[in-house]
Amino acid sequence: MKYLIATLSLVALPAFATVNITGSVEAKCVIQTDKAGVYGNPIASKLSTTPADGGILPVIRIDVSIADAYTANITHPTSFSSSPTLTDTLVWTGSTTLTKMSASGMSAYNGAKAVVGSTSKFNLTLAGSAWFSTASSAVYGSAKPFPGGTYTAVVQATCIAK
Amino acid sequence: MALTPQLYRLPVLLSRIITIGTLVTFGASAHEMTPAYPEVKMSHVKNVVKVEMSLFNSREEIQYYQVDLFDLNWMPIPFSTPYKIMKVDYKEHKSFDVYIRKRDLPEAVFLCTTSKVRKTNVSRTLVSSTICSRLDGEPA
Repeated sequence: MKYLIATLSLVALPAFATVNITGSVEAKCVIQTDKAGVYGNPIASKLSTTPADGGILPVIRIDVSIADAYTANITHPTSFSSSPTLTDTLVWTGSTTLTKMSASGMSAYNGAKAVVGSTSKFNLTLAGSAWFSTASSAVYGSAKPFPGGTYTAVVQATCIAK
Repeated sequence: MALTPQLYRLPVLLSRIITIGTLVTFGASAHEMTPAYPEVKMSHVKNVVKVEMSLFNSREEIQYYQVDLFDLNWMPIPFSTPYKIMKVDYKEHKSFDVYIRKRDLPEAVFLCTTSKVRKTNVSRTLVSSTICSRLDGEPA
């Protein structure tokens, strides 16, 4: 009996346990703010995020995990969310362009974008990351100087499932 | 040209800088909501259905998100959720349920969360992010 147990213990196989790791890839959109924009004040009556005007363009990165599942709408500001009291009209201009991409095919986004009012609509036909820059400028009525103070405007980035 | 140890180290150093730079960039602030096509489930209340959503906030400057429900024409649809404006701390995952009356369900299409931006003391543009899932789509 002793010999039998010894023999069996020699041939016993080590125990194995399997632990499964599961995961799934589902349609997902992530909006990242890579850079907050800053208004430059090149002349007294103008505020602009354009680097040539001393501003910084806000950069929004949108990641989508599945191709052709989302559209991105990016709206440049048409009013200040906070500012000193302004008594005259403002003329707003702005635009949004794709400035960096993770897949070369995304370069077609700029040509295919639809602009409705202040909103640029991009059809995210490819999976990956796309970086969008939004230019925004406001000119105070009749070339009046902007009153001193802090000016804040909001860029709205929306990712909508198709 | 001979590959000196200094020259050999240069690509390694550059690749490390790029990797760190990528990590820093990818660690940028993000708003994420899933699923894109949520499944509509029965709730514990008669004639009310619910959808289970998940939100992830890695936008350090954002603490609050607003929940909205719209029809195909972006008109608001009545719904109920524990908090219409909910606090989601930095790097926090939050699960939340949205309750919709059965009779409103055929009209309900877009379920969205929008980041609430705070007033600042710097002249700048802020980015408000909105992510919308579709209730009339195929569950992923």
